[in-house]
Amino acid sequence: MRLRFTILFALLSFYSLLGQETFPVNGVAQNFEPIHAFTNAHIILSPTAEIENGTLIIQGKQIIAIDSNLNIPNGAIVHDLNGDYIYPSFIDLNSDYGLPKAKKGKYNYRPQYESNKAGAYHWNEAIHPEIMASTEFVADEKTASTYLKNGFGTVLSHIQDGALRGTGCLVLLSEESEHSTIILPQASSHLSFKKGVSRQKNPSSLMGSISLIRQTFLDAEWYAAQKNQTNLSYAAVNNNQELPQIFTINDELDYSRVYKIADEFEIDFIIKGNGKEYSRIEEVAATEFPVIIPLNFPNSYDVSNPETAEWISLHKLKDWETAPFNPAILAKNEVEFCITSSGLNKESNFITNLRLAIKKGLSKQDALAALTTTPANLIAMDDKIGSLESGKLANFFIASKDIFENGDIYENWTAGEKHIITKKQEIDIRGFYTLNTDEFENKMVSIEGSQAKPKATIFALDSIALPTVLEGNNITINTKNGTFRVAAKFNNRSIKGKYQDSIGIYHTFNLQRDSLFTEDEKEFTLNIDSIIPSVWFPNKAHGFINPPKAENIIFRNATVWTNEQEGILENMDVAIKEGKIIAIGKNLDELVVFPETVKITQINATGQHLTCGIVDEHSHIAISRGVNEGSQAVSAEVRIGDVINPTDHNIYRQLSGGTVASQLLHGSANPIGGQSAMVKLRWGSSAEEMKVENADGFIKFALGENVKQSNWGNFERIRFPQTRMGVEQVFYDAFYRAKAYQKSWEKFNALSTKEKRKATPPREDLELNALVEILNSERFITCHSYIQSEINMLMHVGDSMGFTVNTFTHILEGYKLAEKMKTHGAGGSTFSDWWAYKFEVNDAIPHNATLLNNAGVLTAINSDDAEMGRRLNQEAAKAVKYGATSEEDAWKMVTLNPAKLLHIDDKMGSIKIGKDADIVLWTDNPLSVYAKVIQTYVDGKLMFDVEVDKELRERDRLERMRIIQKMSEDKTGGEKQKPQHTTEKLYHCDTEYDE
Amino acid sequence: MMNKKYLHLLFTLLITVAAQAQKPTLFMGATAHLGNGTKIENSAISMLNGKIEMVADASIIRIDPSAFDTIYRVHGKHLYPAFIVPNTTLGITEIDAVRASHDYNETGGMNPNVRSLIAYNTDSKIAKTVRSNGVLIAQVTPRGGTISGQSSVMHLDGWNWEDAALKTDDGIHLNWPSSYYQSGWWAEPGTTKENKHYNESIARIKGLFKKANAYEKSSSLMDLKMESMKGLFNGNKTLYIHANNANDMLDAISFTKEFDIKKMVIVGAEDALKITDDLKENNISLILNRVHRLPSKVGSPVDEPFTQAAKLQEAGILFCLSYEGEMEAMGARNLPFSAGTAVAHGLNYEKAISSITLNAAQILGISEYCGSIEKGKDATFFISSGDALDMRTNNVEKAYIKGIEVDLNNHQKELFNKYKNR
Repeated sequence: MRLRFTILFALLSFYSLLGQETFPVNGVAQNFEPIHAFTNAHIILSPTAEIENGTLIIQGKQIIAIDSNLNIPNGAIVHDLNGDYIYPSFIDLNSDYGLPKAKKGKYNYRPQYESNKAGAYHWNEAIHPEIMASTEFVADEKTASTYLKNGFGTVLSHIQDGALRGTGCLVLLSEESEHSTIILPQASSHLSFKKGVSRQKNPSSLMGSISLIRQTFLDAEWYAAQKNQTNLSYAAVNNNQELPQIFTINDELDYSRVYKIADEFEIDFIIKGNGKEYSRIEEVAATEFPVIIPLNFPNSYDVSNPETAEWISLHKLKDWETAPFNPAILAKNEVEFCITSSGLNKESNFITNLRLAIKKGLSKQDALAALTTTPANLIAMDDKIGSLESGKLANFFIASKDIFENGDIYENWTAGEKHIITKKQEIDIRGFYTLNTDEFENKMVSIEGSQAKPKATIFALDSIALPTVLEGNNITINTKNGTFRVAAKFNNRSIKGKYQDSIGIYHTFNLQRDSLFTEDEKEFTLNIDSIIPSVWFPNKAHGFINPPKAENIIFRNATVWTNEQEGILENMDVAIKEGKIIAIGKNLDELVVFPETVKITQINATGQHLTCGIVDEHSHIAISRGVNEGSQAVSAEVRIGDVINPTDHNIYRQLSGGTVASQLLHGSANPIGGQSAMVKLRWGSSAEEMKVENADGFIKFALGENVKQSNWGNFERIRFPQTRMGVEQVFYDAFYRAKAYQKSWEKFNALSTKEKRKATPPREDLELNALVEILNSERFITCHSYIQSEINMLMHVGDSMGFTVNTFTHILEGYKLAEKMKTHGAGGSTFSDWWAYKFEVNDAIPHNATLLNNAGVLTAINSDDAEMGRRLNQEAAKAVKYGATSEEDAWKMVTLNPAKLLHIDDKMGSIKIGKDADIVLWTDNPLSVYAKVIQTYVDGKLMFDVEVDKELRERDRLERMRIIQKMSEDKTGGEKQKPQHTTEKLYHCDTEYDE
Repeated sequence: MMNKKYLHLLFTLLITVAAQAQKPTLFMGATAHLGNGTKIENSAISMLNGKIEMVADASIIRIDPSAFDTIYRVHGKHLYPAFIVPNTTLGITEIDAVRASHDYNETGGMNPNVRSLIAYNTDSKIAKTVRSNGVLIAQVTPRGGTISGQSSVMHLDGWNWEDAALKTDDGIHLNWPSSYYQSGWWAEPGTTKENKHYNESIARIKGLFKKANAYEKSSSLMDLKMESMKGLFNGNKTLYIHANNANDMLDAISFTKEFDIKKMVIVGAEDALKITDDLKENNISLILNRVHRLPSKVGSPVDEPFTQAAKLQEAGILFCLSYEGEMEAMGARNLPFSAGTAVAHGLNYEKAISSITLNAAQILGISEYCGSIEKGKDATFFISSGDALDMRTNNVEKAYIKGIEVDLNNHQKELFNKYKNR
C-alpha cells in the first residue's frame, strides 16, 4: 500500500480573511474592489472545456462568474476583448523563483569528513529537509515578469540544493507583499541524488546518495519511535511526509532508481525529469510516477564541417531529433505529466518550444493540462488554480489568438492583478488619407504596416515609409534625420496635429481618412509531424531496433570446449532452446532434440570453436556516476546494483570479445566498500534486467595502498586508516559492531508482540545489515588485495570473527600464501600480468595464476579494465605462456572458475545440458591471439554477430547522415551547438570521485 | 650458384678463422622471420663477433659442422630479429605510483635539450621482464610539456648507458597542441571543447623553431636549447611529432615543410586513415598508438584499433607499433601480442613482424644495425620455441644483443622458481 498524500490544511480558510489587513494603514483605508467584466472573449476554461464567446467576471482576487450569457453587473469595468482568447494561467512546479541560491563553502585542500553545519541537524550537509522555501521567499519582480510573459501565474518554488532539500512554497507571480503572494507555504517536499553545495566528502557517488537517502528515511522512522534525542532534520522528514514528494533526477536511468526507493518506503514520488524520457519510455511509464518535464530540446549542431561533425555521437544526433517529441511520446504512453519552463537556455524559448512540441504531435488539450490542471492536481490545489471557474483565483491570461499556434499574450492577470505583457493596439489608424496643411493641399498620405506598428508615407515628401509611433491615440512621425517631425492625435477617422519644419516653424495639419487599409492576413496552419523517430535499445550506435529473442539453434560440427570432464570435443553438435543448452552430441537428430515443431536455426560451425561465454570476476563497466564511496572507511550500505548503466558502450564491445557476464564491483578506496552487482551483458535491456536472477550477494573489501590513501596526494591524510595496521582495526571494529547489532535485533525480535509495542526497536542500519549478512553467510566477500601480510591478516580476521573470504581479487602475492588460502577456503581472481604500477605490486608475477591453480586454489583471471574485458581470452592464454598451465585449465580461469567464485556455476561457466545458452563461437582456439569472435549469445539471444555488426555500422552511418542532413536544413532553434566528443568514463578500482 | 655461395661461405669462414681464430655460432633449422616481410622455413643463420654472418636456407645449402664454434639445432622453433618498442618510458620509470622513480617528465614546456639517455637505468627490473618476451630494443622517450626532450634508442641490456645505447639522442619529441581539448579531469571527464589557444600554441612553437633556425646559422654563444635543436635542420635528429587528430597531423606536416625539418615522424596518428594521401605524398611514417586500446569514439567500430595497422599497410604507409599509454613500461612486453592482434584483424604475419622490427628500425634510423636478419647487421635477435606473436606460444629461449647472450632471467621468474618449489 502506498500513502496517498492529502493536503487538508490547504483547503482551510483560503481567502476568508480577504480584505482584513493585519497592518496599520498610513492614510485612509482603501477597501473598494471593482468588478471587472471581460466580454466577447474566446474562453478556454480548462483542457476540456471552452466558450467561443463568453464573459469572465472577477472581483478582488477571485472569479465570480464565467459563462456565455452573463449580465454585466452595475458598475463593472468592462473589457471588450473582441474575440481574444482567455486561458487559465500556467503553473510551474519546478522553480526557485524568489529564493536565494545555495552558496558553496570555501574550498579546502583537506577533505571535510564531518558536517560544518552547527545545530541539531543531520550529520550530512546534503540532507536538510528542515529548510523551508517560505521562510526565505522574497518576491522578485524581474524574474516574475519572465514567468508572466510565458503565461505563468503561480510557481512552486524550492531551494534547488542537496539531496533532501526541504519544502517548497506555492507562490503567486504578483507585486503584492509576500503575505499574499505565498499562497501555500508548505506545498511540497523536494529530493534529488545531488549533494549540491556541500563540501562534505560523503556522498561522493550516486550509489552513496541513494544509500544516504534510504538510511535517512530509516533513521527518521526510528527517530519518531524514540525519545532520547532531538534531531530537527529527522523531525522534518517526518513532518514533510504528507506533502507531495518531488524528486529531481539527473538522467533517464534514474527513474528505476527512484522507483526502488519508492517501493521500499511506500512513497508516491513526482519526478522532475530531464526531457529524455522517450529513450526509456517503457520504464518511465512502468513507474506510474507523474513527471514534470522541461522543454529543453537540444539546439542543432553545427555540422558544416564533416570532420568535426564526426565527433557528435549518434545518440546525441538522435536526441536532437527525438527530444521535441518527448511530450507527445509521454502522452501517447499515458504518463501523467506537467511541463516546466525551467532548464531552457533562454526563457524566451519556452513558448517557441511549446509550439514545437505541438507540431511534434502533442495535443493542445494535453499541453494545456500539463500546464494547468495536472500540476494543480499534483499539489492538491485544483480547487483554487488550474482552470477558470467561479470561486477560483482570477489567474488567467489574455492572448490574441490560440497560444499553442501563434497567439501573443496581451495581459496576464494573477489574483485579479493585471500585468501588461504586450500592449494591445486598440486603435487602427491605418488607411488612405488626404492631407491638408497651410503648406500643402490635398496631398495623398497612406498609413500601412501593422496595426501596432503603422508606417506613414507622405507623398508630398519623398514617398519613403516613415517610422510612426502610436501611443494610445498619440501619433509621432519622424524622418530619420529629424528634419520633419510630427505630433498628432487620431480621432474618429482623422488625424490632427502639428509638424515642425526644418527652420523651426510649426504647421498645423489635418488628415482625413478616405478609405481603410485592409491587411491580407496569413492564415496560420498547424502542420503536425506525426512520424516519431524510432528509438533503439539502447538509443545509440549499435543499439537494437528490436531486442533479440532467444533462438532455437543447433551448432553443427564444432570443436567444443566443455569445461566439464569430457574436456575438448571435436566435431560436436550443441543445441540450445529457450535460453538453455538442451543437447550435446555428435550428429544430433533435430527431430529428437526438438520433437515439437519449432523454428530451428542450423549453424555450420565446422572449423570453429564453441565455448561458454567469458565471465569477468572484476569489472567496473556499466556503472553510473561513481564506482567508489570512499568517503568513509566502511560503506557496506552502498550498492552497485542501484547504479547499473545498461547503455554503456563497453557492454557491446565486451560482447564482441566473448564476455557474457561480469561482477560489477565497488572500487577499492576503502576497507569495506559496497555491494556488487552480478550482471549478464544483456545489451539493450534495462538495468534491472541485466542482473543475474537469484544470484548470491557479494561485497567488495579492499586492502593496501588504495585503502590507506597512499597515492591520493598530501592532503588525504585524515581518514582512518592510513596504514595496514589501521586496516586490520577497521575490520575488527566493523565486525564487532555488526555482532552487537545482530544481538540487539535478536533480543528485540524475541520479544512478544505486546512487549515490542512498548520497546524501542533498534535503529536499522544498512551498513551493519550488510555485515551481518556476511556473518550469516548470506553475502560474500571479494577482497582487493596485493601483499602477503595483509591477505594473511584478513584471513585471520575472518577465521576469528566467523566468516570466510570468498575471493581475493588481484591477489598478486597470492602465490606466496596459496596454501593458507586453500586452508581458509578462499579463491583468487588475479591479473594475468599487471605489475609495477604501485609499490605494493613489486612482487606481482605473471606466474601467479598458475601457482595458485596448482596449489588447488580456485583461480580466475579478471580484467578490472574496460579494454581488457574484451579480450580476456588473451589474458587467460598468458597462464599457458608464463606458468605452463594446461589450455583447458587456462580457459577455465576466465569461464568456469570465475562462475564458481561468483556462485553462478549452476547456470554458467561450461557447456552442459541445462546451463544457460551463453555461447561463443570463435574462429580459432580461443586462447590464441588469432581467435576472433564470430557470434556471442546470452541466454540464447544473439547479442553480437560479426556479420550483423557490419550491417549495424552501415545502418549507423546512414542514420547519422539522415539526421545530419535534417539538421543542416533546420532553421528552428537558436544558436548551433559546436560539435563535441562524447567522453566515456572509464572506471578502475581506484577511481575515487564522481558525482 | 649454390656452390658458389658455399665456397664463398667457406672462404669467408676460413679467413675469419684464420684472422681471429674464432668460428661463428650457427643456428640451424629455425623458421626465421627476417623482419623484411619474408621468412625462411628452415634457416641457417650464423653470427660472429656480434654480427650476423650468414643468412641461408638450410634446405638448399650444405653446412660443414666443423666450420662453426657452436651449432644450435633449433628445428621447429622461430627466430626473429629483436623486437623494438619505440616511444616508451621503459628504463626511465620504475613504479607508476612512486614519483621518486619517475625520470621522464621535466618541468617546463620546452625542453629540447633534456636527454633520456643519461637517466636510463640498465638494471631496470621492468626491462628484464620485457626482454624475456623478445623485446630487446627500446626508444626511451621523455614525456610531458610541448617539447618533452630527446629520446635515445637503447638495448635492453648493458653495463651502463653508454654501452646500452644504440643511437643516442635520436630525436626530439614535440607534443603537437590538440585542436580540441578534454575538459574535466581523468576521473570526471567533461566534454571535449575546441582549443581556443591552438593557433597561439603553434605560434609559440614556430617562434622557438625560428630562433633555433637562426641560431643554427649564426650563433657562437652556447644556448643549450638551441644547440640541441641543430640536428633537426641538418638531418641528424628526427622530429617526432605526437599528434592524433587529422587536422593536427596536417598542420604538423606543413610545419615540418615550413621549417625544412629533414626527418619527421608522426607519433600516435589515431586518425591516420583519414589522411593517407597526405601521408604518402609527404612520405611521412608513423609510430602508432597501442593496438590494445578502446575505439576512439563511442560509436566507432569495435575493432577500429585492431584493424588500423592492416589498413595502413594496404594504403602503403610505413608504420611501426608502440605501446604508449597507461602502464606502458611494464606493458611493453605485450608489444608482440599487440602485433598478433593486428594479424588476427587482417595484417599479414610477416608484415606484422616488420611492424615491430624493420619498420621500427627504419623509422628510428637504426636499420643499418638491426631490424632484420641480414648479413652484416648486429646479431641482435632471439629464438622462441613457438610463434612469438601469440601469448599462447611465445617462449623466448635464447636472445642475443650484438652477439652476446642475454640473461633471460628476471625478478619475476626468480620469485616463480622460489615459490614453485616451496
